[in-house]
Amino acid sequence: MYNKGFAKHYYLMLLPGLIWLFIFSIVPMFGIVIAFQNYNPVQGILGSEFVGLDTFEYMFSLNDTASIFMNTISIAVMKIIGNLVIPLIFALMLNELKHMIIKRSIQTIVYLPHFLSWVILGGIILDIFSFQGPINQILGFFGIDAILFFGRADLFPFLVVGSDIWKEFGFNTIIYLAALTGINPALYEAASIDGASRSRMLWHVTLPGIRTTVVLLSVLGLGNVLNAGFDQIFNLYNPLVYSTGDIIDTWVYRAGLLNMQYELATAVGLLKSVAGFILISVSYFLAYRLTNYRIF
Amino acid sequence: MHKEMKAFFVSVMLLLLVLTGCAGNDSAAPDSSGSDSSGSESNEPADPFGAYEEPITIKIGQELDPSDTSLPAEDSPLDNQFTRSVKENLNIDVEHYFTASPANYDQKVSLAIASNDLPDAMIVGPVELRQMYEAGQLEDLTQVYENYASPAIKRIIEGTNGIALESATFDGKIMAIPNVQLQADGVHLLWIRQDWLDKVGLEAPKTVDELKAVAKAFVEEDPDGNGQADTIGLAGPDTSNKLYATFLESTNNLYGFDGIFSAFGAYPGFWVEGEGGDPVYGSTLPETKEALSALRDMYAEGLIDREMAVREDSDQSVISGQTGMFFAPWWMGYGPLADAITQNPDANWQAYALPLNADGEYTPHLSTPTSNYVVVKKGYEHPEAAMKILNNLLDNESTFSPDKGGPGYYPLRLVFAPSDETEFTVKALREVMAGTKTPEDFKDMPEYKLLVSDVETVKTVKKEPYDDLNIEHWDPQADMGVWTRMYSLLVGGSPLVDTEINGVYSELYSQTKTMEQRWVNLKKLEDETFLKIIMGTEPLDSFDTFVEDWKSQGGEQITGEVADITSE
Repeated sequence: MYNKGFAKHYYLMLLPGLIWLFIFSIVPMFGIVIAFQNYNPVQGILGSEFVGLDTFEYMFSLNDTASIFMNTISIAVMKIIGNLVIPLIFALMLNELKHMIIKRSIQTIVYLPHFLSWVILGGIILDIFSFQGPINQILGFFGIDAILFFGRADLFPFLVVGSDIWKEFGFNTIIYLAALTGINPALYEAASIDGASRSRMLWHVTLPGIRTTVVLLSVLGLGNVLNAGFDQIFNLYNPLVYSTGDIIDTWVYRAGLLNMQYELATAVGLLKSVAGFILISVSYFLAYRLTNYRIF
Repeated sequence: MHKEMKAFFVSVMLLLLVLTGCAGNDSAAPDSSGSDSSGSESNEPADPFGAYEEPITIKIGQELDPSDTSLPAEDSPLDNQFTRSVKENLNIDVEHYFTASPANYDQKVSLAIASNDLPDAMIVGPVELRQMYEAGQLEDLTQVYENYASPAIKRIIEGTNGIALESATFDGKIMAIPNVQLQADGVHLLWIRQDWLDKVGLEAPKTVDELKAVAKAFVEEDPDGNGQADTIGLAGPDTSNKLYATFLESTNNLYGFDGIFSAFGAYPGFWVEGEGGDPVYGSTLPETKEALSALRDMYAEGLIDREMAVREDSDQSVISGQTGMFFAPWWMGYGPLADAITQNPDANWQAYALPLNADGEYTPHLSTPTSNYVVVKKGYEHPEAAMKILNNLLDNESTFSPDKGGPGYYPLRLVFAPSDETEFTVKALREVMAGTKTPEDFKDMPEYKLLVSDVETVKTVKKEPYDDLNIEHWDPQADMGVWTRMYSLLVGGSPLVDTEINGVYSELYSQTKTMEQRWVNLKKLEDETFLKIIMGTEPLDSFDTFVEDWKSQGGEQITGEVADITSE
């Protein structure tokens, strides 16, 4: 298929990406030094005094550190699973629909929320779940007392994960649908000639056909989940749900930007890198094991 | 030896400079109100009101409320009665370095400090001030204050027994211009819908138990008569407000429970005198637990806004007429009440210095005289420009019309008020309305800069009988701007004049060294625990765990530092 000379183009095409990565992801890494300093904005990184591991000692003495770390991981993992399974099921169901106009309209409607920002959606969701909102009205109809959904720390992670899936599943569905159209129709014909039922075809033709797409999306999703949680949680949370809803990004925002604890915020930010490294390693390992998908 | 000589020489020079500065001032401006200021005496640099010969530019960070629609259509935040006054009187062009909404201003300031990307001047709080001083970002304003502060501003700042100036002084140098705010801003009164009280047949609640009874009636007896169970007894803090004002932010807390805490003798967030005379942190004392227990019961019974802490803006529930009571300072006419009255002319909000404690006394916590500072970036060429802008504000404040833009549009606006301004004005208004004094009797008091226009305009919005403050005896439509001020003063200010206030001061209103690293976390622990206790998601006894954690996570050390400072 390809030879060494052909591959050179690929490496050349990689170059802009690598430069971008160097400028925006590698260079800022030197900022990590702040975590080991008594940082002073005027003297900057080069002029500030080094304090060694003091900040880390303090960080691990805080009750918050363990909980934000766990919150980040648990919310991220739930989001990955939810964002994988729900759109997949939805795409498979939509794929079975033969009426083109209905199929297209459903497709269009469900992916609309993807284009709204969390600032807007956050307001809408808070309204929907407020005391006077429709959800509590419905619960009241069944004689259930109104629930202060966004004041409940035990419910908050699920509301976050649920609303994120609701926002994104339409968009992810389209990617799966595209992958589904890529499956060779001859495979289905062959299967039906062999007497396979529709559920059999789903299992033996459709799913293997989009396996690589599923894995690719999940690996790509991992990189984003740790970043993309901020907008959403920031627009939905309040002090009552910090204990289960505070993720590393939101905590770093409050400590670093609002409270000017630069060293601490940087130190905790390092935790995020650790969490990201773990998540990516795990998923890459799984991808290799399950589908023999590998980058290098 | 050599060094000492040098130090001596420098200090003599400084002393001389200071002395000449002061003397120059005293002779140049004996009467600040009559200063028609284009540098007529001489072009001595030390003229607090002198205009620059060449126009200069100052880039400021300014808080702008996007929902504030008070500017006339032809004006803009950089071209209005306030900036024109600065330009005409001082020849200073004001430019924006950044602007931010009230919700984002602190964040913008922190960002500017962190990135060392600063405007020429801006307003900061005490925590940011210390941060900037330690980072070496501030211009030394000692000379500026001595030479350029107008006599009226000096009188006001020094009238705080040095507290205001001391809080802006580091290592003997004045690094910022402190504001001086009203004592009244720190007293959180109980505001009640009087028309609702009449409807449910109750009196204003004297004690916490009576307050509960009123709240219960407000929730259960449908005081707004719309047939729905949608009324709130007592409003609670929204996402941007606090449960109570603290020693670092001791004023202007809206919708908190300050009044209930003080009725229990609890002063959370304040450093109070403990049994041995040493300072203790009020949030860790048993009285606070008792007050939390009462609030917890009230919340469980639905007497407090059940959506508190999750609500985006408690103003809205007051404006839309859902709320029956809330705690806030005297100036609520400037707050949600103007909109509330526009929506519903019958909303008869009245203020009370209540509830009382078990001994029948009113014992609110009291504020520090200063909470905001104007700082100037190190290296800005005209540090005195900031001072001149402040002089100009105090000098001209009464000439600005509230109809042509709210006071927030004045660049670098700090409040400079004699601490009794509200009370003094209320008494003056009463005397004028009773006919025992005329507006002319109040001409000669430059510090009370709005007094003259207040006594002249009060009768445009207040109808007879003058001593009945219920809403039907007001005419807000005559002049909404005047109504806002008069209603705040007469309704909100009267309880401060008529009540004996046995207030409690905090032993300390500034940060200590250890607080810089630890306070944020301790405060978060406190806020979360208390909120959860009140809202019933954690048991009352988690208060005891909080006290232990608080002490072990740095609270003990901080208490020691506070004791060191207060014993000095």
